[in-house]
Amino acid sequence: MNSPTRNGGQGDLVIDISDLTKDYRNGEETIRVLKSVNLRVRRGEMVAIMGPSGSGKSTLLFVLGLFLPPTSGTYLVSGRDVLSLTRTEQAIFRREMMGFVFQSCDLLENSTVYENLELPLVYAGVKRRERPDRIRDALSRVNLEHRLHQPSNRLSGGERQRVSIARALVNEPEFILADEPTGQLDRENSLRVLDYFNKITAGSNVAMVVVTHDATTAEHCNRTCVLSDGVLNG
Amino acid sequence: MANKHTRLAAYLAHRSRRGTTWLRMRDIMRVSIREVLRKRRRYIGVIAAIALGTAGFITIVTMGRDLKTNFNNDLDMLGGATIINPYFEQEGMERLEWFRDRTLASLARIPGVVDVTGILTKPRAITTFQDRIFGFNLVGVDAAYWQVFSFNAAAGRLFDAADVDQGARVCVVGTLLARTIFGGDQQALGQILSIDDNLYQVVGVLGGVRAGDRGQFIFLPITTARARVVDISQPYSVYMRCATWDDVAPVAAAVKTVVEANQTARGLRVNVAWEPLKQVQRIFWWVTLFIYSSIVATLILGGLGIWNIMMAAVVSRTREIGLKKAMGALDNDIFFQFLFESLCVTMTASLLGIGLGRVGVEYMSHMLGARPPEGLFMVCLAAGLAFAVVIGVGAGMYPSIRASRMQVVEAMRYE
Repeated sequence: MNSPTRNGGQGDLVIDISDLTKDYRNGEETIRVLKSVNLRVRRGEMVAIMGPSGSGKSTLLFVLGLFLPPTSGTYLVSGRDVLSLTRTEQAIFRREMMGFVFQSCDLLENSTVYENLELPLVYAGVKRRERPDRIRDALSRVNLEHRLHQPSNRLSGGERQRVSIARALVNEPEFILADEPTGQLDRENSLRVLDYFNKITAGSNVAMVVVTHDATTAEHCNRTCVLSDGVLNG
Repeated sequence: MANKHTRLAAYLAHRSRRGTTWLRMRDIMRVSIREVLRKRRRYIGVIAAIALGTAGFITIVTMGRDLKTNFNNDLDMLGGATIINPYFEQEGMERLEWFRDRTLASLARIPGVVDVTGILTKPRAITTFQDRIFGFNLVGVDAAYWQVFSFNAAAGRLFDAADVDQGARVCVVGTLLARTIFGGDQQALGQILSIDDNLYQVVGVLGGVRAGDRGQFIFLPITTARARVVDISQPYSVYMRCATWDDVAPVAAAVKTVVEANQTARGLRVNVAWEPLKQVQRIFWWVTLFIYSSIVATLILGGLGIWNIMMAAVVSRTREIGLKKAMGALDNDIFFQFLFESLCVTMTASLLGIGLGRVGVEYMSHMLGARPPEGLFMVCLAAGLAFAVVIGVGAGMYPSIRASRMQVVEAMRYE
């Protein structure tokens, strides 16, 4: 699946982490979950992070999303240090720069597809009249325009994940973090979602970091990094 | 800190899609209302509790004075707890003073006084009917006398202000006298009585709870009695009726001053039924306490209900909170969403309670035949809304803070 144009060799550097460590304290004991992790992801690049359970994949993703502070190291996004941001600035950073796709296709229950996609725009302060076009545009990228006013609980698993992707895209982020995005999908829907991922990263120059167990998912990425015992290789 | 903000602002400046705080707040309010509407079933109980409490509060406070007045009317029939009786004491065989007309007019202007009536009396008067002689107490009164003592007509009518103004030769007789002289109430109507060589037509027989005390009385219009009855007294005694029992003490205290401002008050005494009054006040105080306690308990339970529901909502929507934070919601966005939801519930309940309260006020107005001032209802309405805001903010504050401070990772991992 890797093509020369999507090989990570060109485009701007979006994510740049160096010597990143993360320790957890368990009473007197300190557990180092991430050990001097270095990762660079460029615009239009899709990087898979693989590794066994407990290797620190989710921790790395949470650090990348600024949900967890690292113990040491640097984290630059488009050349800017984001670890020094305050809690409020982090929230603004998340809504402006980042999209998140979860394994469990977390959508707001009792809400329509439109309402799910509208929420990031609400938090970003996008004017009401601009929202429908933005939402339709995001849905068109996952071929779900026809489900605009469908209640989220009436969607299939594949459709829910596509809505999740559209929601991550609606604020036109710099990069997307995906946590086991195909973990709850059958093969057909998994391939379809991955296909959308490829189109999105190639078409809009969005960087993407995908945490996965699945080899097929990793094959669809430009690069695969393996996280083992807190050390990232690849 | 400022440096960081400046740096971030520059960092994000090129995107320039942040809306105003107001825009975001308005949208979050809309999201909150939508959330409450979709989960309305869980709020029905607390909405009903707060609505009933608010309705009770509005009805009781708005109608309170009319209720007391009405209660007074009923009590006066039984004992006249709100009737004050100023009189001039007899010294030896003579009374030195009596109430002048201007004094009566001034007494009627004391705040809290509903009616004032002065009476002229001639005890041991006699009349003849069909060659028989009957003894009775003759009293000259004005039309206010009937209202002061809550009298009505057992038969015929009680003479009115026009009869008094014209000095009409009509009379009202006590029930016992009507039976003794004429053989019954109906038989008395239209009969002619001779008193002090003047003829008077019987227009009515006295009725009411306390009419039995005056069974041997004959009442003439005060103007007629003054002009035609020989040896009738001056108005040594006056009866004043207060609007509520709360008015009795201040009115009684003001009587002497008012009388002194108009005439000499030598020998003036003020008779008040303090003991029955205290009993009535005590009973009503307990009733009021019970009613207000019930209302407060209902509202507190409503508030606790909201607190409980909001706490449960925060727990059950933990993943949703994490998700929203992952999408870039600020702590304030989450805080205000939950606070607006709480306010939305209490305001809905309050508006419902105001509607029910209005219905209650209209119903009680109809029942009591009184119309409370519209301004009082508006004050209660404002108080009801203010209370809804207090409960909404009070009960929603802690759950909202808890939701806003939730850590994203913990929230996202919550099962």
